[in-house]
Amino acid sequence: MGTARWIRPLGAVAVAAAMTLVPAPAATAAGPPPGSAAARTEVSISSVDLDGPAVSTVEVTVKNTGPQRMRSLKVAFSGPAGWAVQPALVDVPGTFAAGAAATAEFRIQVPEKRRGFTLRTFTATATYAGGDGGGSASGTRTQASGTPLANLAAAYNNVGITDESDTGPGDYDGEGNSFSAQRLAAAGLTPGGRVRALGAELTWPDVAPGTKDNVSGAGQAIALSGKGGALVLLGSGVTGGATGTVTVYYTDGTSTSGSFGFPNWSFDPADAHGATLVASSDGRNRQDGYGNQGIAYRVFAHSVALDAAKQVEFVVLPANGNVHVFDMAIAP
Amino acid sequence: MLEIPAVSRRLLLGGALATGAVMAGAGAGAAHAAPADPAAALPVASPRRARGQKTMTGVPFAVHETVRVGLIGLGNRGSGMGEGWAAVPGCRVTAVCDTRANRAKNLADRLAARGEPRPAEYGGSDDAYAQMLRRDDIDLVYIATPWEFHHRQGKDALLAGKHVIVELPVATELDELWDLVDTSERTRRHLLLAENCSYGRNELAMLKMAHDGLFGDVTNGHGGYLHDLRSLLFSDTYYTDAWRRLWHTRSTASFYAMHGLAPVAAAMDINRGDRMTALRATATAPKGLADYRERFVDRSHPSWKETYINGDLVTCLIDTAKGRVIRAEHDVSSPRPYSRINSLAGSRGIFEDYAGTSSTGGRIYVEPDHGGHSWRDFDAYRKEFDHWLWKKIGDDAANNGGHGGMDYVLQWRTVQLMRAGLVPDIDVYDSATWCAPIPLSVMSLAAGGRPVEVPDFTRGSWVNLRTGLDSRESSMPPVA
Repeated sequence: MGTARWIRPLGAVAVAAAMTLVPAPAATAAGPPPGSAAARTEVSISSVDLDGPAVSTVEVTVKNTGPQRMRSLKVAFSGPAGWAVQPALVDVPGTFAAGAAATAEFRIQVPEKRRGFTLRTFTATATYAGGDGGGSASGTRTQASGTPLANLAAAYNNVGITDESDTGPGDYDGEGNSFSAQRLAAAGLTPGGRVRALGAELTWPDVAPGTKDNVSGAGQAIALSGKGGALVLLGSGVTGGATGTVTVYYTDGTSTSGSFGFPNWSFDPADAHGATLVASSDGRNRQDGYGNQGIAYRVFAHSVALDAAKQVEFVVLPANGNVHVFDMAIAP
Repeated sequence: MLEIPAVSRRLLLGGALATGAVMAGAGAGAAHAAPADPAAALPVASPRRARGQKTMTGVPFAVHETVRVGLIGLGNRGSGMGEGWAAVPGCRVTAVCDTRANRAKNLADRLAARGEPRPAEYGGSDDAYAQMLRRDDIDLVYIATPWEFHHRQGKDALLAGKHVIVELPVATELDELWDLVDTSERTRRHLLLAENCSYGRNELAMLKMAHDGLFGDVTNGHGGYLHDLRSLLFSDTYYTDAWRRLWHTRSTASFYAMHGLAPVAAAMDINRGDRMTALRATATAPKGLADYRERFVDRSHPSWKETYINGDLVTCLIDTAKGRVIRAEHDVSSPRPYSRINSLAGSRGIFEDYAGTSSTGGRIYVEPDHGGHSWRDFDAYRKEFDHWLWKKIGDDAANNGGHGGMDYVLQWRTVQLMRAGLVPDIDVYDSATWCAPIPLSVMSLAAGGRPVEVPDFTRGSWVNLRTGLDSRESSMPPVA
């Protein structure tokens, strides 16, 4: 799990910034001097102008917080996947005394702003000799624009439950199959019904069968308020590899992230990825009607840890369409 | 290896198209020695920039309150575009020229009938255009003559102090392409390819999606020009003096892949952060035109004296400095539905045009939005990533322009750039690079498909990120 600081929006422009210092494994044989464990090279990234389409200039500052002179400094910078950067690597000449900082300048191609809420993450990595002896250090900066969706229902983008008398709208798995509303009810999952899992009180989607009722993960940002020890997600996976990272942003501008995954709704072991089985329904609805009787189609719960002292503001779901979420809630 | 015989056309003597030889000397630069490694790209020389000559990258047009256009070549393409230029706010056609004087008169009549000022007419000789270029009321010259005249007329227009927009291709030989680059730099006038498809709605959306990162890191693209032109090529009226068919008697080359190549190149920021480095070509046997003639053309037709040597499908594989691969195809002599292919793919997804059932003609598959190994319609993405030009003037384009409105968008944007004093979306370096596969494909095929270096027409400035077709919205200055 990583930790980041998220800087609040300024003025009318909903732009947030964050920077993390992520010490990388030592790249040199020499380790940090005794007693200098807290003195880590700081890598910070300037604010990125996201008003595209444009080419923006970015400065990466590397501060030598170690006791030795820093030398052979090289700085790499990257933006979101597909964003061109020039140059990819800056070789910074000279050496830098303890406490001194060096700056490398990059240019990045920024696209036109997308509608809705977006988070853009930038990463810089410095490699060096001397300094804190660590050999390399990284920093990230995350900037946001727009407003998170009001709730999970606002992000529903998939029909996962259909009535056995009308299976056509369903497409939970990308192949036209869906849960049977009747069989889910037999397993205790009814529209608007309470579901208790992993200490959280969740709600089964309160919508009619055949309508959008769950979120296929695409990195959506969802507003969520509360405090607690864990964020619990209710859902299941399709095809394979229904895993990803959930990032929770707090009102103080910080964030935590955690990895989780759901088993496939049918064929994975029920505890795959560390998930917990919540309910099993018998068979599924196919495009030609109810079928596959005798095979279990399941719903699971999984959680990621929260900083219990902080107030949650919004959650960013995994950017993995194989992860389907019916609800999420905070557990004490 | 395909036989590439010498030809008699004056414009082709000494060029790659004429000889099929690997051309190491392009202009004044020193030729490189052939590499010892047979797999290495065959070198081509790049002339050094003359002292005092400067790049045209990032150079804005001077502000023109009204853009006054002179037209050279008024066949099917030129005459149609003439009315399009006149329809753009703040643009006036001041002179028209064609070797056939009646064409100039006909277009002048049509413009006058629309209430436009009657343009001056030039024609009756091969050099009538040179007289037109002496006028001082022309800011932009539009050239739509047969390919063999583009280089000379484009260069002469630059030397006359005009900006120039040339139908595909701007030139067909490497030394001619370098000559246009150098002449543009010396005269400080822009020359650009009239690459209308780069302004296509799907192509521009594809570009914006690439820049947003929807495809992840773009690794490959595929474009081309696949258009069954057989009946038009054998028409006695469509292409004046059958000029386009005759190109198929001269050489095996990727004559006209730019309509599909350019949008892929734009999405990869070629000359704006990446560049083409090597090209290798393949060609199928030339069967299509002869077969068509055998079945549909009377034995008395002059085409029966011709031998077609251009491969039906000429494919170029182009490497880029960032390790990407572009596949550019050209086929105008086979029976098939139309396609420019327009495909772009990367680490997170793929777009394909001319496929699927979407009303846009495109289909898409990008993570994390999609899964299950099944294509999705392009419609929602086209709507979200629709270029501001189409949102702003799409309706006008539909009413005024051919090719689905792309022609008008190209014309409107070109006039807007000149009137507002902005940097052109497409410059002489893009134009030369996109047309270079013509001679380079000849060279590669003559060397058995061996890769050939692609010249860096920017002379090093390709490393610099800069905007182009993915532009920021701006307005057409009001017409006084």
